[in-house]
Amino acid sequence: MIIRRVLAAIPMLFLVSLVSFALMRALPGDPVDVMLGSAQKELPAEDLKLLRQEFGLNQSPAKQYLLWLSGWLKSDSVASTNALGRSYRDGRPVKEVIIERIPATLTLVGIALLLSFSMGLLLGVVAIVLNLKNKKADSALTAVLLALYSAPNFWLAFIALAFLASPYSSALVNLPILGLHPPGAQPSLAYAAEYLLLPAIILSSRRMAKVALYVRALAIDELGKEYVVTALAKGLSLKNVITDHVLKNCLIPVVNLAGLSLPALIGGSVLIETIFCVPGMGRLMVESTFGRNYPVLMGLVMLYGTIVILANLLADVLNNVIDPRLQQ
Amino acid sequence: MKANSKPNSRLNSKLISGAIGLGLLLTIALLPLLLNLLQPVFGLTIDPPTSNLNAVNLAPSLTFPHILGTDALGRDLLKMIAYGALGSLSVGLCSALVAVTLGNLWGALAALAGGAVDNLMMRLVDALLAVPSIILLLALSSILSAPELVEHFPPFLLTALGVTSYTDGLLPYFIVILAITATTWLESARVARARVLAIKEEDFFMAAQALGSSFAQLLGKHLLPALATTAVVEGTLLVSDAIIMESGLSFLGLGLGPSTPSWGSMLKDAQSCLTAGNWWAAVIPGLLICSTVLSVHMLGEGFFASKRARGKISA
Repeated sequence: MIIRRVLAAIPMLFLVSLVSFALMRALPGDPVDVMLGSAQKELPAEDLKLLRQEFGLNQSPAKQYLLWLSGWLKSDSVASTNALGRSYRDGRPVKEVIIERIPATLTLVGIALLLSFSMGLLLGVVAIVLNLKNKKADSALTAVLLALYSAPNFWLAFIALAFLASPYSSALVNLPILGLHPPGAQPSLAYAAEYLLLPAIILSSRRMAKVALYVRALAIDELGKEYVVTALAKGLSLKNVITDHVLKNCLIPVVNLAGLSLPALIGGSVLIETIFCVPGMGRLMVESTFGRNYPVLMGLVMLYGTIVILANLLADVLNNVIDPRLQQ
Repeated sequence: MKANSKPNSRLNSKLISGAIGLGLLLTIALLPLLLNLLQPVFGLTIDPPTSNLNAVNLAPSLTFPHILGTDALGRDLLKMIAYGALGSLSVGLCSALVAVTLGNLWGALAALAGGAVDNLMMRLVDALLAVPSIILLLALSSILSAPELVEHFPPFLLTALGVTSYTDGLLPYFIVILAITATTWLESARVARARVLAIKEEDFFMAAQALGSSFAQLLGKHLLPALATTAVVEGTLLVSDAIIMESGLSFLGLGLGPSTPSWGSMLKDAQSCLTAGNWWAAVIPGLLICSTVLSVHMLGEGFFASKRARGKISA
C-alpha cells in the first residue's frame, strides 16, 4: 500500500516539474532575451550565441527540459548551475540561492503546524464540553473561531506588528520580531524559535480555528452514535466517554486534515515571511516575483510542489499507521 | 443526546444565517449607492475619495463628514471602503464565475472521455494542486504582467480592455482575475468529475445515451443542469477565497494598481499610516474583508442547507 503511494508520487513530481518549466517558457523570447532586455542589442552576436550555448538554448525544448530536470539531481555545482541557471539578481547559482532559504521556512511552518493542531484540538475539546454544558458559551466560542477563520493571516500579522510597535505593548510583551536573530549574533535554533514564535502563532491562526471547528463538528456527530449511548448506559462517565472513545474516533480525520493543511500553511508563510522579514523561501518568492527573476521563480515553484507532494505522502503513511483498516 | 438538536431547527438557523449573509453582502456591495441616498443626511458626496492634506490621519469619530476617520493622505475611509468594495467584490465574483465554469467543464469532459484522456486531464489538475495556490498566483502574475507578454496580446483584447499608450485600462483586472482563476478552478474540476462519474451510472443518463442523444445534448441537457447546484455552492465559497487572494496580491503591490481602490491596497497604504499612530486605517479594511468572507460562507451554507432539504443534493 505504502509502496503504491510512493510510486504514485513519482509521476506527480514529474508533472510538477513540467508545469514549472512550461511556465518559464510561456514567455515570448528565451531566458537570454529576458535576462538582457534591451541591452541585448548592444552585445555582439557571437557573445549572444555563446551565452545561449552555455544555457543549452541551442537544443530542442525537450532536451532543454531534461537538462533542467537533471540539474536538480547533479551534485557537481558547475553542471547544475549550467542546467538550472543563475539568479538574475546577483548571478549566484539558483540551487544555492534557494537551498539556503529552506531551513527558515520549514522551522516556521513546523512550529505553526504544531501550534495549530495542539491548540486546535484543545479548543475543539473545550467547544464540545461547552456544547454539552453551556450552549451560549458554545455559540460565542464558535463565533470567535469563525471570525478567526475568516481573518486573512497577513492582516492579523500587520495588526500584531502595529500593536508591538505602539508604546502600549512594551509593558505587556517583549517579543523579538523581524528577522531570525539579533543583529550581529550567530544564527541558532534557540534564536530562531524565539523570533519565529509570533509569526508562527499568526500563521497558525486560521488552521487552528479550522481544526477546532472540525473537531467540534466531528465530536457532536460522534456523540449521537449508539456506542456512546451504550457506554453511558454501562455507567461510564461522560468525561471518560469523550476522552476514551469519541476523541479517538475523531483523530483519524484530524490527522488527515493535518496533511491537507500543509499546502495552506506553506502558502500562508509567503506573506508572513514578507511582513516579519524572515529570510525564507516565501520572501525569496516575493522578491523574485517583483524582480522577474524567472530562474529562481521556477526553481521555487518546483521546490514548493515537491515539498507538498512529500508532505502528502507522509500524511498518507501516518494515516496507514493510525488506522489499521486502511492497511487491508 | 443533548448535542443533537432537532434537524428542523438546525435547518432554520442555517437558512436565517444565510439570509443575514446575503443581506450583509448586498449592503457592502451597494455601499456607494447607500452613501448617495444618505447624502442629504450626512453631508457626504458620491464622488470618489480624494486626498485632503488638511485632514490627514483623523481618528474615527461619530461626527461628520469623516465617520470612520481618514488615512495618511486625508482620504475618507468610509468612501474608500465603499469604492474598494467595487474592486474587491468584482474581482471575487468574476474569478469565481470563470473558475467554476472552467472547472465544471473540465471535470465533466474528463469524466465523459474516460480512459487515458481522463487520466491525463486529472493528473494535470493534481500537479497544479500540489503547488500552493499563492505560489502559483505569484508566479503567474509575474509572468502575465511581463511587458514582453503584454506586447503579444491580440490587439482586439487590448482594445476591449481599454489599454492605450497612456493607461493600462482594465489590464490589471484582467491579469489578477486570470491569475486567481488559474489557481482556483482545480477543486471544482475534481468535484465535477466525481459527480459526472456518478451520473454516468444512473438510469436516466443511460436511457438518454441509448436513445441516441448527441454528445452536446448529453452535456447540455443532462450533465450541466445536474452540476449547477453544487457549482453555485462552490462558486460562493470561491468568491471569498478570491477576495482574500486579491487582497493578498494588492497588499504586496501586485493587485489592481494604484488607480483602483480595493481593500487589499488600502491595507498596503495603511502601512505608511502606522508611524503616525493611525491604526484604524489598517483595522477597518481588514474587518470588511473578514465580514465579507464570513457572510459569503453563511450565504453558501444557507443555500446548501435549503437545497439539501429539498433533496437536490445528497448529504
